[in-house]
Amino acid sequence: MYNSLTRIQNVFGFFTTVAFVVAALIAASDFTAPRTPSATIKTTNVQVVKGRPHYYSTKKEEYAIIRFSLDADLSSLFTWNTKQLFVYVTAEWPVAPAGADNMNQTNKAVIWDAIITSPSSDHLSNLGPASLKKLRKSAAGKTIDPSRGKLSLKNQKPKYQITHPTGRIAETDDVKLHVNYNVQPWVGILTWNQAFDLGRWKKMAGGVSKAFALPALKKKDGEATAKKSR
Amino acid sequence: MADQLLEQVKDVVDGQIDFEGQKLAEILATAVLAIVGGISFLVGFFLQDITLALKIGLGGTALTFLLVVPPWPFFKRHPVKWLPVGGEPAITSGQQNIVIDEKLFTK
Repeated sequence: MYNSLTRIQNVFGFFTTVAFVVAALIAASDFTAPRTPSATIKTTNVQVVKGRPHYYSTKKEEYAIIRFSLDADLSSLFTWNTKQLFVYVTAEWPVAPAGADNMNQTNKAVIWDAIITSPSSDHLSNLGPASLKKLRKSAAGKTIDPSRGKLSLKNQKPKYQITHPTGRIAETDDVKLHVNYNVQPWVGILTWNQAFDLGRWKKMAGGVSKAFALPALKKKDGEATAKKSR
Repeated sequence: MADQLLEQVKDVVDGQIDFEGQKLAEILATAVLAIVGGISFLVGFFLQDITLALKIGLGGTALTFLLVVPPWPFFKRHPVKWLPVGGEPAITSGQQNIVIDEKLFTK
């Protein structure tokens, strides 16, 4: 510490140590905040259509378009350490026929997702200047805004039309929609929705739709063959 | 002339402080940074505001740099007493009483 340079080096060195310890404390403090997510989801319209993976492809594949209604309360996932919440809806169905080779295998595809930012990370959201201003105003100066975690979607159009690697997806049975989330913190580890309770963090209440079947392909001669979900 | 100028610049950039000052600088830096870290976490946790915690932390660190890095006068309150120039010892050898293995040697 005998000259300015060594003092700068020593102070900076201890600063990095302090920053690391404070970050570790912040990440650990997340465990003291209880998590009680809940959601209900149901399908409103299911269709299977023929389409191509991209414009110039010669392959024709079957795509399932699953519209759904979602009511979710993910507000308890927002703490001071939450940067973003990634919510996504997956369609899952077991590999058929069920047998020794296919035990516990599940087909899983994402049909819809959304990024919900906390007010502290609004400047990172993928919005234009007008919508960004609206988003900032909606937080009304609060440092965290758990109400952004309350979702209410009616007859939502899916973001992605799903298919199977074989290209055939019509008339598949036992399909369920699952609601999943991924909490992205400012400091700490990434966490997803849990299969079991962990201390104050509870697993999602609900979040799975009733089983439904994907219908046969829509016929071109105008016959309405898309069945409504059970 | 250039030598003397360079010497002055070197003194300013070096920022040497005496030993007691160095001890004080070390204690001050450690204490202030630790306290700032504690305050930034507690304030952020109870106000649930992470940007505020970050600002307090960085501000406190900047304050520590300002407090410890420049050679302030209060770091130079105990200057080292160097022996006089010229090779003359401050204590003459005739006055030294050296004791080795409990036997006193006097010159």
